[in-house]
Amino acid sequence: MRGGIERKMARWGVAFVMPAIVFFTLFSFYPIVSAFLTSLTSRKILSLLKPDFVGFRNYGYLLSSSDFWNSIRATAVFTLGTFIPLLIFSLVIAFFITGMKRGQRSMQLAYYSPAILSSVVAAVIWLSILDPRGLANQFLNTLLGIQGVDHHWLASSVMVQFSTILVYFWKYIGYFVIIFITGLASIPPSVYEAATIDGASRWQSFGRITLPLLRPTIAFVSIMSMLQCLKTFSTQYLFTQSGAPGAPINVITLNIYNTGIRDHLIGRASAMSIILFVIMLGFTAVQLRVSGGDKVSY
Amino acid sequence: MKRLLLLVFCLSIMGALWATGTTEGDDGPITIKFWTHEDPARTEIEERYIQEFEAANPGVTVERVTNSSKKVPELLLTAFAANEGPHFFNTQIEDGYAYIANGRVAPIDAQAAGFTSDSALINAYVDGVLDPVSVGGDVYGLPLELTNWAIYLNKRIFRDAGLDPDADYPRTWEDMVEVSEAIAIRDGQILTRRGYDFRYPYYLVSLIPMVEQLGGQLISDDGQTAIVGDEAWLKVLTFMQQWGPNGMNLGSPTYTNARKTFNQDNNDIAMALSGLYQAGRIRNDNQEFYDSGDWMVIPYPQFEDAVKEVGALYYGHYYMVNIQVPEREQKMAWKLIGYMLSHPEEYLDRVGLTQPTKALMASKTFLSTPYADVFAADMERSHIVYYAEDSARMQELVKEAVEAVMLSGESPEKALASLKVKAQELLDQQ
Amino acid sequence: MYTPVTPVQKIAHYLVVTLLIIGAAAVLVPIVFMITASAMPAGDILAMPYRWIPRGFHVENFVRAIRGNDASFIFLRNLLNSFIVASVVTLTTVLLSSITGYGLAKFKFRGRYLVFLMIMATMMIPFEAIMIPLYLVAVQLHIQNSYVGLTLPFLVNAFGVFLMRQYLLTYPQEYLDAARIDGAGEIWIFRTVVLPNCIPVIATLSVITFRTQWDTLLWPLLISQSEKMKTVPLYIVKFAAEKYTDEGAMMAVALLASIPVVILFLTMSKYFIGGAAVYSSRKG
Repeated sequence: MRGGIERKMARWGVAFVMPAIVFFTLFSFYPIVSAFLTSLTSRKILSLLKPDFVGFRNYGYLLSSSDFWNSIRATAVFTLGTFIPLLIFSLVIAFFITGMKRGQRSMQLAYYSPAILSSVVAAVIWLSILDPRGLANQFLNTLLGIQGVDHHWLASSVMVQFSTILVYFWKYIGYFVIIFITGLASIPPSVYEAATIDGASRWQSFGRITLPLLRPTIAFVSIMSMLQCLKTFSTQYLFTQSGAPGAPINVITLNIYNTGIRDHLIGRASAMSIILFVIMLGFTAVQLRVSGGDKVSY
Repeated sequence: MKRLLLLVFCLSIMGALWATGTTEGDDGPITIKFWTHEDPARTEIEERYIQEFEAANPGVTVERVTNSSKKVPELLLTAFAANEGPHFFNTQIEDGYAYIANGRVAPIDAQAAGFTSDSALINAYVDGVLDPVSVGGDVYGLPLELTNWAIYLNKRIFRDAGLDPDADYPRTWEDMVEVSEAIAIRDGQILTRRGYDFRYPYYLVSLIPMVEQLGGQLISDDGQTAIVGDEAWLKVLTFMQQWGPNGMNLGSPTYTNARKTFNQDNNDIAMALSGLYQAGRIRNDNQEFYDSGDWMVIPYPQFEDAVKEVGALYYGHYYMVNIQVPEREQKMAWKLIGYMLSHPEEYLDRVGLTQPTKALMASKTFLSTPYADVFAADMERSHIVYYAEDSARMQELVKEAVEAVMLSGESPEKALASLKVKAQELLDQQ
Repeated sequence: MYTPVTPVQKIAHYLVVTLLIIGAAAVLVPIVFMITASAMPAGDILAMPYRWIPRGFHVENFVRAIRGNDASFIFLRNLLNSFIVASVVTLTTVLLSSITGYGLAKFKFRGRYLVFLMIMATMMIPFEAIMIPLYLVAVQLHIQNSYVGLTLPFLVNAFGVFLMRQYLLTYPQEYLDAARIDGAGEIWIFRTVVLPNCIPVIATLSVITFRTQWDTLLWPLLISQSEKMKTVPLYIVKFAAEKYTDEGAMMAVALLASIPVVILFLTMSKYFIGGAAVYSSRKG
């Protein structure tokens, strides 16, 4: 009899996930399979001729191209430089905000406010700020008590990488703060009450109770933020369009876009997309395993 | 069995009818889709032309779709890749050339476009301007505009810096450095007022002529060699290095676009590079400044030791028609293009776009347009920008070289060496 | 909530609050810049040093923002479109994500981890890679230039499924079992037991989905061809079109375009804060 119930439950489970499977098949898997097939050809975007099948030659070309390896480097720098601070700061800020007695809502709104801006506008704002005459130089010079130094926010190859990280951090910090706040809200207050009675300090309860119970959320945020970083495009695109040197911030997505759209080499661009896809898949699998985000019990 | 075959036959006929049901017969109503870039002044007059055209051609509906000029090339590519391109579109020749090369656009139907014959069409335009869209004796596009850039100058700032704009305006690039240094105001390293600054991402139009003045070339005449004339290139790269923040600090690509701030007359830039259309922008953004007459246009400067005079290169927007739409609709598209383009004086007057027809260039409207003579004279000693399937990539390589010397402190020799290798590789791939 | 007791704890508490406020202020600087700039003529925006208090209210910016460059007032229609599209997408995303997340978190069936991983994998597909195949799908379905076309590819997303699943993993199984022993049907359990307890996470998901959809640029750009079917981001991009930039008016457009998201956030934020209360009341 027990087996019958399990079978019935399994059928319900399948029924619940079926709509999503149909949806993702049509709008995600079919296109990515199509992109993979394109990556095995020398297709040019406007050509009406049947493209030549070239096997894995596009992949071979990329792996021996210094331009592509520079993109890998730029993406790695950006991802590590952004997602680790994002994870740590959003967790700490969320934890402190939930500890406040008053003003939680205004705090959340303040941190979330960058998200209300359209990304086009965010870019216009930041380009004005990072302009040599803009607020960034004025602010830093006032802070350091110096005058008239241009910090080359967009011009020098080191600073421009930092600037992309800064803009991204600013834009997404509130997003992850509210996810952590939701996660913290799901921890029953009774657990803390018990800990307080046991005489645990706030820091102790953070380490012993909050962190372990937040594991699914931490896994979630770290995966999400890392994927977001790997997929970053608009900030780098707009910076390069506005005079910033291209090579230091030529992340993979930007390279895909330029190769496919500007240079019309859609076969090669597809190969790059597939490589990026595989990299992201690998990282996510590792993170899921390491964080053990799947097993939590009270 | 026979009955089954009959059934299958009937079904397939019905299927075929149904499949073709969406394409109308020879005289059914048609909808012409037209994609173009955003330009409010142009939208205004073209919407009117379209209304007139629809009234004169019953059964024809025109859908005019505008998008930002940076996004149009991307949208066109995606739509054409899906074989769903619009009936016709306009695009810069650097982007448009690939559509001709890949057989995606149809040759002009001269009669539909309102010309008596093919030769009448060719004769209507200034010599050579149809060359970029002519392949194997066929012409594939009609120019909406042909634009070259010259230098807009703010007289108030000149006078403020103790210069006489009419006497002291820069004629050579060496003058340009001197004048810009005299005008520049800096807060430490930060420029709060610039003399002139380049129009950075557009290197093919605005940097290549500097190289050519010194005898160099982007591509050799036989089309085999990229980056010709080391000395000329080195001199230009060194010039850019000196211009940038690590040299004389006269400007940099990361400052706000020169031509954007020019209109504000905000005492922050004295000279900017732009086309004839800029005058209309000034009027639109800052009527007071426009009316004051405190601005003027001067020719593109030459190097002191130039071996030949070259103005800023010109570029064009051409209308092209999708070859994948039914022939009747292609005809209608050319008819509409012809009708819209038959108002060159209004385009010039209201939008600031110059159609390179012989009639317009000789017309009173053109000759009386302020500073049109400066642009026309510069165009005389210039030629069309480099266009090919890979021109965007070529521009990117030049950009990389300039950024390397201006911003990353690389030596001009090293930047040139790397540019030569990459550009040649790109050219050989063609 | 946490209550500081000893003087040391009090000092620490105030220090933390001060740091939070400084951080929030830093995050707000660009927003304040936008708001002040929207009241300035374009020339003042570039002035150095920046004048934080505008010299008056440059109302032309807002007039131009709403009228548009061609006086068509299409902005209002675009605003409505964005609102419709973002609302529909938010609704379907919440519904489909919670169903799917629930199915993945609380039911055992063969291949469920595989399904989960597959859905996760869709998050890793760069849009640039599938832009053209996806457009082909849209062309075949004849959904260009329609609300269906604008919404269909976004009805649910992996992020939502992931968020709901992670949240529901921690949901106590006993409640479900208890309901089943009482003879409740599966759909009833989902609707009346599971969903009400997901309110905080649904609120979060709604805000994030709405905001993301509000800002989606690339797809509408491809799919919307008439002015009437465009959304706000397209309007902004067009407004910013290269030869015609007026930064003051841009900032005004941005400010107007942000208002719906602000309203949404203000109304929804009480659910995140109230989340703990919802959870504990369930036990009672």
